[in-house]
Amino acid sequence: MERASFSRSRGGPVSSNAVRDEPSGARLLVVDDEPSMVRTLRTNLRGHGFQVETAETAGDALASYERRQPDLIVLDLNLPDGDGFEVVRRIREQSGTPIIVLSARGGETDKVNALDLGADDYMTKPFGIDELLARIRVALRHVARPGTGAEPRITSGALVIDLERREVTVAGRAIHLTPTEYDLLKVFVTNPNKVLTDRMLLQQVWGPDYGDESHYLHVYVARLRRKIESDPQDPAYLVTEPGVGYRFRSEEL
Amino acid sequence: MDNRVMRRLIPFVAAAAAVAITTAFIDLIVGRAQIANISMLYLVAVLIVAVAFGRVAAIVASILAFVTFDWFFVPPTHQLVVADAEELFSLALFLITAVVTGTLAARERARAQEAEHREHDAKVLYEAAFLMAEPNLERALVAVAEHFRAALDLDAVSIEANADILPHPAIAARDDAARADLRATGSELRLMDPAGPSRTIRLVGPTTARAGRRARLVPIVAAGVRVGRLTVLPQAGAPEFGPAEERVFAIAAAQLGLTIERARFRQDATESEVLRRSDDLKTELLHAVSHELRTPLASILASAGSLRQRDVDWTERERDEFATAIQDEAVRLDRLVGSLLDLSRIENGTLVPHKAWHDVGALVEDVAGRMRPVTAGHPVRLDVPEDLPPIELDYVEIQQVLSNLVENAAKFSPAGSEIGISVGRDDSNVRFAVRDHGPGISPGDSERVFEPFVRLARAGQGPRGVGLGLAIAKRLVEAHAGTIWVDRGVSDGTRIVFTLPGRAGVV
Repeated sequence: MERASFSRSRGGPVSSNAVRDEPSGARLLVVDDEPSMVRTLRTNLRGHGFQVETAETAGDALASYERRQPDLIVLDLNLPDGDGFEVVRRIREQSGTPIIVLSARGGETDKVNALDLGADDYMTKPFGIDELLARIRVALRHVARPGTGAEPRITSGALVIDLERREVTVAGRAIHLTPTEYDLLKVFVTNPNKVLTDRMLLQQVWGPDYGDESHYLHVYVARLRRKIESDPQDPAYLVTEPGVGYRFRSEEL
Repeated sequence: MDNRVMRRLIPFVAAAAAVAITTAFIDLIVGRAQIANISMLYLVAVLIVAVAFGRVAAIVASILAFVTFDWFFVPPTHQLVVADAEELFSLALFLITAVVTGTLAARERARAQEAEHREHDAKVLYEAAFLMAEPNLERALVAVAEHFRAALDLDAVSIEANADILPHPAIAARDDAARADLRATGSELRLMDPAGPSRTIRLVGPTTARAGRRARLVPIVAAGVRVGRLTVLPQAGAPEFGPAEERVFAIAAAQLGLTIERARFRQDATESEVLRRSDDLKTELLHAVSHELRTPLASILASAGSLRQRDVDWTERERDEFATAIQDEAVRLDRLVGSLLDLSRIENGTLVPHKAWHDVGALVEDVAGRMRPVTAGHPVRLDVPEDLPPIELDYVEIQQVLSNLVENAAKFSPAGSEIGISVGRDDSNVRFAVRDHGPGISPGDSERVFEPFVRLARAGQGPRGVGLGLAIAKRLVEAHAGTIWVDRGVSDGTRIVFTLPGRAGVV
């Protein structure tokens, strides 16, 4: 997988032209039906060294996806010729290309649906452009270096999980977890900085027959927080995404 | 003679007549031999009188029979003296038997009569309950009043309730005189103590016929609060209401109380339903508006954020692009806020057209010119005859109507498809039409599209726009005494037509 070359060191005197001459940046597909939003994103992302394709309809988005095989898709859910969910579904049938969903505020159900269909992250409109760039980098890094069980040890700040020995330590202190708590934590740490919906977590930990039993999940997340967070009221690792699910915030990124 | 005196005398007359007939019968047919049987015959007479005329008649008949028996048949006859002690004993026995059996028979009769009355009353009240089920309170109460008046043989009945629920009292009257007499009872609900009992008033009036008439006022109470009054005007000269009638009125008043209470609940429910709907509409408006405001805001924030980024040296062209996006979207926000203000002004009725005579052709060409940035990508065909008369209109407002229609046409039809703007005469009116070749509006939606914030899901296309364009257009056209509608006679796309009244005789 092509590695994104998005970084120009903050404050470093790197000429923008140097980046533009280097077409090796990750290929992004931006899908939004608002022309001014598309223009702004295209200019900005190109300025940050990405190659940018754009589409204003679901049909164009799928066609462009087929033609250019982008490394990441930024997708507005509200499209004129069919919903963005269909785009997510069709792309997920073919590949795991990261998808960051854009949606208007208040559309929690939309976000959850899109994430359940396989979208990787979401942003609520209006959003800060820096936040979008950060999310794009996280998603690309995650694809570039997937951590799914490949590494025996996962470290994030004071938290260390040894996947081979099923051992968890916080600041060197061993933590005892029940099998379910351990399975849940494992799903979190192998998907760092990614939004996981209640349904996804339930199905991965409890099994495919689960999905609506969010209360189980809330109980186990609360237990995990008491065991691994220094302040369970203000969690550093297991962050709630209101109305959507949870995100494991890894300090690594 | 007075009716009431007559009625009082009936038992006595009946008793005397019964005893006389029995005596004659015995004298003529039975003979004097069997004294024991004679007493039995008198007993039969007493029982018949008791059953037919009640207790008083029974006792009177018993005493009369006793005396007659003694006088005519007990030796020595034709005097009240009784010679034989045994005869005296059987005579006394007869009197006691007659009084006791007569009273018992009369009581049975009274019970039967009461049962009959109660059945009648229950039927009257039951039928009234049926009538009260009518959802329209005024109609229900008029029917109930007439029902009581007819069933209880009254001169007039009126049912009043507080004016907020029943503006006019429900009145049933035998004739105009009765109606006038009823009116003389006054309609001051205040006169009645809310928790007080019903009472009788005597009418005073200019005519002797009215003076001295009585009317019964029964309070209608629901949940401890007086909600109305039942007024009953009996026939002139009818006896005073007895406890049975009072009971009927009390039950009727209780039923009416429930009916009025139910009507009030229904009224409250309707009001709260209206409030809820308008609340829903406002919530919908807020959702739509907040979504519409956020879309340009998202572009503005993204562009402004881009300009502030220090990790990229933006070229002059790129900076210009961000600035243009900010400006465009700010203009769009301004337009949206303006539309919302327009709509609220129109809804409040504070927007008054400033009419002047204008050339319609020039107006249409002006709009087509101004809308060129919006219609770019669509060929626009103008159909404006030369001989159109001038029309009195508010230029800015009608320009806005046409612009909204043209903007919709451009927005909802595929690029490259033609947009037609035409004007023509229609009797004394001038008719404007904007035509596109988009997906069209289904017949079921052709009214709804003019409501604010109604956005149609068009063939898999998400809702777009704030949904105010047609709502504003409709209100502006109507402020010009014109009409606007969706023309269903087109084979494809949408044709929206509006007419404005021309000057009669000139056009």
